[in-house]
Amino acid sequence: MTPRRILVVEDNPLNLKLIRAVLQFAGYDVIEAQSGEEGLDVAQQDPPDLVLMDLQLPGIDGTETLRRLRQGSLRRDVPVVAVTAFAMAEDRERAALAGFDGYVEKPISVRDLPGQIEAFLTGASEATGESPRASEAAGRNPRGSV
Amino acid sequence: MSRSGEGGTVVDPSERSSRTARISRDTFRQELRDARHQSAASRKILAALGRAVANPGDVLDTVLEEAAQLCGAQVAQLYLLEGDVFRLSRVSGEIPEEYRKHLEDHPVVRNRSSAVGRAAEDMYTHQIPDVLNDPEYGREDLQQRAGFRTMLATPMILQDELVGVLSMWRTEVKRFDARERELLEDFAVQGAIALRQRDLMLELDSRGKELASKVEQLEALREVGEAVGSSLDLDEVLDRIVSNAVRLTGTDGGSIMEYDESGDSFHVRAASGSSSDLLEQLRAITIDRESTLVGRTALERKPLEVADLAKEDKLDPHLDILFRDGWRSVLAVPLLRGDKMVGVLVIRRRTVGTFPPEVSELLQGFATQSVLAIVNARLFRELQTKTMELEIASRHKSEFLASMSHELRTPLNAVIGFSEVLLDRMFGEINERQDEYLHDIRNSGRHLLELLNEILDLSKVEAGQMVLEPSTFGVSSVVESTLAMVRERATRHAITVTVEIADDIDTIEADVLQFKKVVLNLLSNAVKFTPDGGRVSVRAYREGTDLVVTVVDTGIGVSPEDQERIFESFQQGRRGAPKEEGTGLGLTLSRRIVELWGGRMWLESTPGSGSTFGFSVPGLPEQEDDVASPERDKLPVVVLVDDDRASLDLLSAYLDGSGTRVLRARDGIVALEQIRKVPPVAVVLDIKLPRLDGWQVLAELKADPATAAIPVVIASVVDDRPRGLALGADEYLLKPIRRDDLVDALRRVGALGGSS
Repeated sequence: MTPRRILVVEDNPLNLKLIRAVLQFAGYDVIEAQSGEEGLDVAQQDPPDLVLMDLQLPGIDGTETLRRLRQGSLRRDVPVVAVTAFAMAEDRERAALAGFDGYVEKPISVRDLPGQIEAFLTGASEATGESPRASEAAGRNPRGSV
Repeated sequence: MSRSGEGGTVVDPSERSSRTARISRDTFRQELRDARHQSAASRKILAALGRAVANPGDVLDTVLEEAAQLCGAQVAQLYLLEGDVFRLSRVSGEIPEEYRKHLEDHPVVRNRSSAVGRAAEDMYTHQIPDVLNDPEYGREDLQQRAGFRTMLATPMILQDELVGVLSMWRTEVKRFDARERELLEDFAVQGAIALRQRDLMLELDSRGKELASKVEQLEALREVGEAVGSSLDLDEVLDRIVSNAVRLTGTDGGSIMEYDESGDSFHVRAASGSSSDLLEQLRAITIDRESTLVGRTALERKPLEVADLAKEDKLDPHLDILFRDGWRSVLAVPLLRGDKMVGVLVIRRRTVGTFPPEVSELLQGFATQSVLAIVNARLFRELQTKTMELEIASRHKSEFLASMSHELRTPLNAVIGFSEVLLDRMFGEINERQDEYLHDIRNSGRHLLELLNEILDLSKVEAGQMVLEPSTFGVSSVVESTLAMVRERATRHAITVTVEIADDIDTIEADVLQFKKVVLNLLSNAVKFTPDGGRVSVRAYREGTDLVVTVVDTGIGVSPEDQERIFESFQQGRRGAPKEEGTGLGLTLSRRIVELWGGRMWLESTPGSGSTFGFSVPGLPEQEDDVASPERDKLPVVVLVDDDRASLDLLSAYLDGSGTRVLRARDGIVALEQIRKVPPVAVVLDIKLPRLDGWQVLAELKADPATAAIPVVIASVVDDRPRGLALGADEYLLKPIRRDDLVDALRRVGALGGSS
């Protein structure tokens, strides 16, 4: 099985680098974008299996990027997961309202992230297009696929 | 005074009988006529005295006129004492102008040289039958000018004091008889009264005027004072001050020149009676401190005036403008506040002349008010600036914290994250020392992050931005899950941790995240400060609808002097824990969160034998009954409604052993629910209740046929028995309530048996 491709949209290079390191180590193929616009381009050229996207982005923000992704070429069953600030209830609500398939909280946990991503991917394939509830997916199987 | 005087025209009645009837009749007629005249004169004088309120001078004129007429004198005069001399005040009859003038320059003195002088000296009536044949008479100067011969003078005495002399003359030598003399003396008395009255009137009048002007001044100052106090619009206040100052000093215009410290000069700030053209010119100039009237007033710290601008050699720019605008005289008063120069108040007239001292004095009053107004307005301006600065600073602080949250967390997360990446050997094996240092890096990063989060939370609480998000959750499971977070460390240090949650605790309505934070903070502190092999026990129990959580440790304890300090920021007490172990903010934050929630947090500790940290928060559901038991269920129920737990405890205690079962409610809604569920034999009802007050509860109970019959005993600090009884309460007890009060009341309403 070819590695699953994860598009990480994150403007902070350090965060991006960390997420890349963790996900690559977990065996994913990581493609990157540092802005919403770039994310749209990359997703168009190189369709991902999952999108991990920061909510706060320069230019068009995460919510708007999600809307355009959904209008564009992205397959319906590709989960788009928001990265929200820790303990910011309004961010979580915003993510849910905007139609994200789930969220992972910042700071991302090096140990939990691969499991969380895997849960979204399997949830997505199991439910065949129906997105898993974020709360169910997030935090499940903490060290799962590592 | 005897009428058998020198003149002989007045005859003693005893002699009269021996004379002829004709003479007697003539004399009698004469007397009668005189008496009539005299009484008519008196009436006139009395009438004039009556009118005297309007003009006491009238009375004096009447007195002189009547005196001259009744006594057959050509002239009657009133002399008033002025200093040492007597001056002619009023005259009846014709006197030569020359005489009057001469008399003015040479007034009468108190000596033997004149009838007036003698009357004054002796305080007695004097007659000079012929001034030309009197050796002592010395006022030939007057005699030559007026031509009088016989002179009669009588003193006017008021309260033993000589105030004037009334005199009459005849141009022929003809003595005034006793009756005439007496008449003049009577008139003198009346004249003195009129004089007195006139003086009083004058005094009253001047006092009245003084009073009226004082009232007007005070009124104006009050108005100004009010404006100073109420309005912070400086221009409005100063305008009012100037216009009042101008009005009350009877001048034509004025202005207030405010001192500008930075430019060391004065600028017109408010003006009255000034054309817009003048104002514009005044605004255009700078009035310096050295060479101007305004400046000198300020320098010399006293009022300065120019009585005639036209006579000044050189006018400063300010005065020059005024002069060209048609002003002629100016008075400037300094506005001082202690040593500080605030400005100068200027009033001006279009006429020439000096300003009386009263004007300058009055103006000082306005100056004081102006100073207050200016100082007030400056303070207000400063306050506004400060407030604005504070708002900006506060916004900066919020922005700073928000950006700190983002800017500091992101790199910190990278520090922690990459440490973990390496620690997890994602990119190869590492040696023991590298592993140890990476742990240090990660732990320091986590510590910093924790500190950061707590600072942010604390600042949120302090800014009133911390919003609690209540939900209903199980107390036991949350305490257990929190415990799991410290269990590892506890195990490592062989610390036994026990949890005891009371059976009647199930769920609570609270902010679960904050609840966890507080419990975790107390727990981790306890574990941290307990020596190896110690014990930490967590208890949760109910106090009414409050949940109480205590964390007891067998640590080193906290000394009494540290027990309060420990809740302050960055105070860990002397508990001997390594510094890096905590942020020093945890307890501060925890207590603030608990307080925000309406609860409290405390510490009990004995140094050496451990500490008990505890907190209580509201949010437990109402408890329906303490312990359900078949026997208890059969007992009659009394519902106690009070929002204060201590009151409920007390009332419950009163009913111990009374053969009733007590149900408690702490707000009106719960009370109604309980009463409807278990119809009680009585309700003891407080008035001040949350959600639904006692009046409303009472009204609802009485409106519902199902509950209308239940007796209600009001127990409150609210003293309104009539209202309670009108709404249908059976008893009304005023707090504080004694046991007997309650028991007797419940007996009277039939809720309790005869003995208790």
